[in-house]
Amino acid sequence: MAAHEILAATNAVVTLDVAIPGTVWPWLVTMNMWAKSIGTGVIFMLFFLIKKYPDKVGGLRFPTTVVSIIFIHIFLLFTLADLHQPFRMWHIFFYPHLTSAITIGAWMATVFVGLLFLLAFLSFIKKDDAAFDKVLPWVVALAVPVTLYTAALMSQCTARELWQMPTESAQMILAALLSGSAFMILVFGSKLGWEANRNLGTILGLSAFMSFVLYMSEYVFGPMKAEEVAAILEYVKGDGPYTVMFWIGQWVTYLLPMLLILLSRSSKSESILKLAAILALVGLWIVKHVWLMIPQLLPMS
Amino acid sequence: MQLGFLVDLHLCMGCKGCEIACKVENEVPLSTWRLRVKYVDVGTFPETKRTFTPLRCNHCENAPCERICPVSALHYLDNGIVNIDKERCIGCAGCVMACPYGAIYIDPQTQTADKCTYCAHRIASSMMPACVVACPVQANIFGDLDDATSNISKYIQNHQGAVQVRKPEKGTNPQHFYVGGGNVTLNPLASERVDGYSLFNNITTLPVGGHH
Repeated sequence: MAAHEILAATNAVVTLDVAIPGTVWPWLVTMNMWAKSIGTGVIFMLFFLIKKYPDKVGGLRFPTTVVSIIFIHIFLLFTLADLHQPFRMWHIFFYPHLTSAITIGAWMATVFVGLLFLLAFLSFIKKDDAAFDKVLPWVVALAVPVTLYTAALMSQCTARELWQMPTESAQMILAALLSGSAFMILVFGSKLGWEANRNLGTILGLSAFMSFVLYMSEYVFGPMKAEEVAAILEYVKGDGPYTVMFWIGQWVTYLLPMLLILLSRSSKSESILKLAAILALVGLWIVKHVWLMIPQLLPMS
Repeated sequence: MQLGFLVDLHLCMGCKGCEIACKVENEVPLSTWRLRVKYVDVGTFPETKRTFTPLRCNHCENAPCERICPVSALHYLDNGIVNIDKERCIGCAGCVMACPYGAIYIDPQTQTADKCTYCAHRIASSMMPACVVACPVQANIFGDLDDATSNISKYIQNHQGAVQVRKPEKGTNPQHFYVGGGNVTLNPLASERVDGYSLFNNITTLPVGGHH
């Protein structure tokens, strides 16, 4: 296509602009969001299981806490790795700027890690389930804003019109429910019995459904509201650079797990449920990555 | 005092003198720019013209970069300048993601965010920004927007209705204005970027943070 055939109205072509090169927030940030979803998600699921099946999940208190600690530390590690000056991380605590979601998130995540270690201490050293169950609701309460703060951060990115509140908040909490339930099915499912597995599958399926509805709503209606959103979503439409990855993500994370969960309910198959869980966990990374990348492709100048 | 900037695009001839002066004054490393001039070619041959738009930090009154910075490395000065403290910056690049004008970059030498400061160090010594001094046609007009007698205030008064800012819908209230701008010059979505139609296709970029 010749340059003069590009835009009928203006025939305008940028012939010189040296904009910011490359991706600003790379896959490290995808890892950050993915690991945090699992780290907080398993805590939500542990709380649910203790309330619903107190007799069956006694042995899951410590292992689930360890899983959460591991994934929250993966999240923190990749957060640190993404900084260009990682050794200045302490500035967040000594020069805090409280209008920034990064600051608030860092503080909350730090307290969250402290509470997780307290849970580990209560369950492994003290072996005091009653004390564990008293602390757990506070950890769950804090897990909610820890899950959501990245959505707040994305919404503070004025330049990236695609990331809007409250959609991003809903997507973050749904991602935590989806990955938390998937992880519990996959790792602890064999200890839980069919009924608990079925309920976790229901949480996984409903989270996938609602998340898929949100993505499709943005996909279809987003371009009708804002010129920038329309331009960004072109990257996942037609021959866009992220079209294939976007649809692989939607199928692997949401559509296939939903179908497999329905199938597992009719056949009472834990194996099919586990397959749905694996797909959801793998797919979540893809979905998050696409949504992170595409607004960064749009030239700001 | 609220310092502001105005570029009269009728006057700008795309010489890039401002760009070079800025690079020299602020020792801006290779492959990065605090100020750059965008060229957009408009029309169909032979009825074509080239437009020039100097782009720099807009020093917004409601700056998203200042709000998102977790350590106040980006901060307001009393004269309205959005300044940056590179010693405090942790390089999270939140400001780069937040700025709707693409005015902030990660300095490959210091691995910290950097941007135009309206030459705050020169202003502190009662000098004009380097780009203003270098402009051969006085297309850059700089001054105190709170002072009705300043050049910039008078320019804005004399061009009522023709003064524009970039992306006003973002609510950032930029303190950087343009006269003679249009959709093509100020709206990045109004023009295409086509491979093979850039004057400098092979732009060398220095690595930023290794994996970024």
